[in-house]
Amino acid sequence: MPEKHEINEKVALHGAQQKQVYTSGVKPIWCPGCGDFGVQAGLIKAFNELGIDKSNVVIVSGIGCSSAMPHPFSTYGIHSLHGRLLPVASGLKLANHSLTVIGTGGDGDGYGIGSAHLLHSARRNIDVTYIIMNNETYGLTTGQTSPTALQGRKTKSTPFGVTEMPVNPMALAISAGATYVARGFSGDPMHLSQLIKGGLSHHGFSLIDIFSPCVTFNHDNTYDWFRSRVYKLEDVKHDPANMAMALEKAMEDITSNYSKLPIGLFYQTDRPTYEEYELSLKDGPLAKQKPHTREQIMEVLEENR
Amino acid sequence: MKSVTVRIAGANGDGVESSGALLIKVAAQNGMHVFGYRGYQSIIRGGHVWYQVRVSDQKLTSHGDDINILIAFNQDAINNQRSHLSEHAIIIYDPSKAKVLPEDEAKYKTIKLPMIDMAVQVSGDPIMRNVVSIGAAIKLLGIEKSVIDDVLRGMFGRKGADVVNSNIKAADMGYNFEGLEKAYDIPHDSNSRYTMDGNTALSIGAYAADCKFYAAYPMTPASSILHWFAAHANNGVLCKQTEDEIAAINMAIGASSAGVRAMCGTSGGGFSLMVEGLGLAGMLEVPLVVVESQRTGPSTGLPTKTEQADLLFVMHSSQGEFPRIVVAPRSASECFEVAAEAFNLADRYQCPVIILTDLFMSEHIESIDGFDLDKVMVDRGKVTMTNTAGGRFKRYLLTEDGVSPRALPGTPNMEFVAGSDEHDEYGDLVSDALSGIDKYVEIRERMHEKRMKKLDTMLANESIFVPHLDFKDSDFYLVTFGSTTEAVREAVDRMRSEGMKAGIISFNYIMPLDKGETKRILSGKRLIDVECNFTAQLAQVIMANTGIEIKDKILKYNGEAITPGDIVSQAKAILGK
Repeated sequence: MPEKHEINEKVALHGAQQKQVYTSGVKPIWCPGCGDFGVQAGLIKAFNELGIDKSNVVIVSGIGCSSAMPHPFSTYGIHSLHGRLLPVASGLKLANHSLTVIGTGGDGDGYGIGSAHLLHSARRNIDVTYIIMNNETYGLTTGQTSPTALQGRKTKSTPFGVTEMPVNPMALAISAGATYVARGFSGDPMHLSQLIKGGLSHHGFSLIDIFSPCVTFNHDNTYDWFRSRVYKLEDVKHDPANMAMALEKAMEDITSNYSKLPIGLFYQTDRPTYEEYELSLKDGPLAKQKPHTREQIMEVLEENR
Repeated sequence: MKSVTVRIAGANGDGVESSGALLIKVAAQNGMHVFGYRGYQSIIRGGHVWYQVRVSDQKLTSHGDDINILIAFNQDAINNQRSHLSEHAIIIYDPSKAKVLPEDEAKYKTIKLPMIDMAVQVSGDPIMRNVVSIGAAIKLLGIEKSVIDDVLRGMFGRKGADVVNSNIKAADMGYNFEGLEKAYDIPHDSNSRYTMDGNTALSIGAYAADCKFYAAYPMTPASSILHWFAAHANNGVLCKQTEDEIAAINMAIGASSAGVRAMCGTSGGGFSLMVEGLGLAGMLEVPLVVVESQRTGPSTGLPTKTEQADLLFVMHSSQGEFPRIVVAPRSASECFEVAAEAFNLADRYQCPVIILTDLFMSEHIESIDGFDLDKVMVDRGKVTMTNTAGGRFKRYLLTEDGVSPRALPGTPNMEFVAGSDEHDEYGDLVSDALSGIDKYVEIRERMHEKRMKKLDTMLANESIFVPHLDFKDSDFYLVTFGSTTEAVREAVDRMRSEGMKAGIISFNYIMPLDKGETKRILSGKRLIDVECNFTAQLAQVIMANTGIEIKDKILKYNGEAITPGDIVSQAKAILGK
């Protein structure tokens, strides 16, 4: 295994020289009451508290209601393809690891069409903060089932009830190698802003799953439904450094038959990031490295004599 | 031109490939021109594989037709290759592994070389028969023994004196085998040449253009580009093997968005997965270079065989309309030039550039005298660091040439959101809440026209989008593209040496095409289309762009590389000669 090297440009937190305005003035497309407003508020609060430099932030999203997230922000953003925000975000981060790269998308995007990328980004431990707004439904396509929909739920595409098990995002991320795994609730933006802040400050791959109710197409999993089930891990004896305990908490969704849904920081560990192992990044971000010289070109040519 | 064709054949795992690679290096070191191509299968052990190495006193563009020297590692090698032997062929075989028929003895010169015994004698390892066999082959080719010794020292020096010495001894045994004599007289000069396959030349061309990021999922025949970039992590390139081709293209788009020159590569199957990403690059107007190295399709097809059947696919893949450039390099050295220029075109026009090669182009090895590094220039296009207009930065500013100024994340006061949805000059979406409203209907029109305008701009600014005509005033012309141009060149040389006035019209840049100029070049000529697919895709492109229908066609789609012999015989049949 290559040796870990110190990456010489740490994430540009606290980098802002002057007070920053993080909003662009573009209005979000969300329905009134949408959970995603709470996530937007949490993100802005986290930015403010960190004093983050907006020109060093890229918010990358997929497709779906929640993937409209970059537009109200005055940072850089890429609104990419359905399910593909993690590869785009990873490319950005590998090319310039002095950027703060944030992924924002929905449950269909992250746990359905893009699930392979979640798995592999987690095991890479690439330093991207991935926020998934989980409403257990497909909203923008008007209410089909989703990978996190509970069994039995009736939707337009499952009129007789969902038969598949829901994905367990926390257990999935922990077992795949994510080094910061948390869950929030958009009904509690203060709490979730602290989880986002923790994810942005964390060095490595962070998954923050957020219960973000769809007020239009999901009348089963409403604010009240979540409010009566969520409880904070900080309020019970939970050690986020303990993987076994974290997995046990993650499985509580199933063992409690979805009657108790813990929120908060499930798991956090310190493991070198992909960037720290990557040989080509020893000399700083790729985007800031000098162009290949004629001598370097001759060197690779001469290998073929 | 004098040339000798050597084919080494055996089973996978016998060292056929290393034998071929050694012979190529020795011949190139000896001041000869070389061309190599191998036939193999998608299994790791067993099967029947061959490596064909042709040496000459002049630049070669084909691995040739018939075999002059067959090195047979097993019985299959003789049985399967007999039909490819030329009239006075020499068969070198190992009597412990194969027998020749009495009629072979009568027809060909046969040499019983106990390769395995010799290999075991010098090293205890039968695999060393590859060096023994090449020692014998170079004796026949009239190459001095010292040349292979030097090459072996270079190849194995790092492994210590014992390894070098046993290799040199193995070569000795083959070279000095009783009764073996120089059989061919190939003039050579004192130049030591580069030898590389198309993928290596392409990788180095990209490297020279300052490509620093390569993402791919392994797929024959593009995998060796992945290997090249992975091996050069300490030379300032980041190579990422991804979970699938979808991730590969989207990572490359992310890296390019951050301002790093980025490329991804695959074969047709993987490109099928990349198609949505290609459209994303088109819509975000992110520069991107994609390599598609074709193999025989459809579906998994023949994974280790060649074809040119993805031309129309790469030209039209992904939904909607957006400008793209498609270029099919015509030689290994052109792979270098095309790759180096592809990044400038991608940056200048902020669009995807697809380099279309194939298994033959990716894997055949050519000797190359050198590369003109002075011609490699880096033009990053309209990258801008300052927001001169003030206010929010207009990433998608409507411009005369269709190309908008581009800012890179990390630059203050230039923040913007790039969207895969239709958007306005700022990048704000006009898709969800606004589509259909008069003002935004117009924005959609202007934005689409702006992107498509880049096609006019590139046609006006670049002189590359036309076919190349060789041998003016010929009686007839072979029309071809990409890798097939190589075999066509030799076919035309052969026909001209027989007094036939044959010419070549070859395409490398195929999309977009300068219609008027292309029509002018093709008009009023007797044309024969030569390509490796069933539906004559280049001819279709020509018809669509110029209205010129090429009726006579030489098409090959059996997976084997087209040879000059194939082309000459079919061209003569078409011409009634």
